[in-house]
Amino acid sequence: MATSSKQYLTRGEELWKGRSEKVNAELFALTYGALVVQLIQDYEDYSEVNKQLEKMGHNIGTRLIEDFLAKSNLGRCADFREVGEVVAKVGFKSFLNITPAIAHTTIRPGSTGSAPPQATNSAGSSFSLTFDENPLAEFVELPEDALEGGLWFSNVLCGVIRGALEMVQMQVQVEFVSDVLRGDETTELRVKLIKHLEEEVPVADD
Amino acid sequence: MTIYSLYIFDRRIRHCICVYYHDWHRTRRPKSAVEGGILPAVSTAVFAPAADANSSALSGYASPRNTLSSASGIVVAVNEMNSQSTASPLLQAPPSPIAVSSTGLAFDEEVKLVYGVVLSLRNMIKKLSGRYEIVDLSENLPERYKIYRDEQFVNYRTSAYKLHLFETLSGYKFVMLSDPGIESMRLVLRQIYVGPFLEYVVRNPLISMDSKEHGIDNEYFRTSVDRMVRGLSFYL
Repeated sequence: MATSSKQYLTRGEELWKGRSEKVNAELFALTYGALVVQLIQDYEDYSEVNKQLEKMGHNIGTRLIEDFLAKSNLGRCADFREVGEVVAKVGFKSFLNITPAIAHTTIRPGSTGSAPPQATNSAGSSFSLTFDENPLAEFVELPEDALEGGLWFSNVLCGVIRGALEMVQMQVQVEFVSDVLRGDETTELRVKLIKHLEEEVPVADD
Repeated sequence: MTIYSLYIFDRRIRHCICVYYHDWHRTRRPKSAVEGGILPAVSTAVFAPAADANSSALSGYASPRNTLSSASGIVVAVNEMNSQSTASPLLQAPPSPIAVSSTGLAFDEEVKLVYGVVLSLRNMIKKLSGRYEIVDLSENLPERYKIYRDEQFVNYRTSAYKLHLFETLSGYKFVMLSDPGIESMRLVLRQIYVGPFLEYVVRNPLISMDSKEHGIDNEYFRTSVDRMVRGLSFYL
């Protein structure tokens, strides 16, 4: 595991370096900020903004995965643990130049977050990503009412992961469990595998 | 030694959705698809003329070699597929028309057959190798989840043609038919995916990728695929 984990780190690094077109990080952060503000103005409801961000992310993710597959040339992951490693070390690295810390978790009933209590045999069916740095949230301070309204500022990331994994036949549930912008100690995102989408043979038509 | 045709199938595996078709040295064309049998913006050559088809579409049929006079054009023209009556300067001059006979098979039927053979063959191969596993999470699970193991067929050959397959992990299937004597085209198909497909389809906001209404055909994609295939050493 340790070796492959290192391989992923190198792979992510290579992909990031090999990417020819890059966007200025400040421009990126400010654009994203403007987008969120616009959504807040349009919807005037923070949970709706969260939802819209997630939806946008999903649309991004369904395309981003193709870019990722084409550039990274990685094979299919053997298990969900590996999926986590690839998302954190290759995915985030190659697109955002960050490597969130990954923890493979067992969801305990009654743990934090709104994830429904899961049977204990689901070890390895979820992982959480802890972001030391978050390029989306540079220069961001949330005003009081956004905090009260429960805005997840970087919620677009949830959608991206969900969209991307959906396209490789994994249905996942992704949500933020904490955010430094909200005064939490860490920014943590949890990804939970719901099921593998099965292929189906098309119905015979004659 | 030549290349006949290219089909691209959508990533939704459970349906046969052909989103792109292109042909080169194909001597016998399928009949045009019945209306509704195939999505618009897949290919101009075999797309059923819409009720309001203008002269452009018709001239496309008159010189069937002219796959490039893209009547569907850029997909921005969603509601006016046939509005681009003049060939774009981007596209090369059409090759001299050659008499083309029909296979007698409608294009939508042909597409289903191609998809059917690819899907059945790959499922059979996976089952035969015994590495085909689907694990439902509702069952009791071992610690490490098993997922599909990939084992893909690369091509098959008959006395008349060779079928090449490249399937992405997301489920896009690139299928190429060529002369039987040709070497593996898998890398070329991959190049189409990494190059033109990524550039002009994935990164093209005007193309909706999982649309039930439209294929992915657009001028840039078609031109650049065409250029790529014509540039191959065994393209004669």
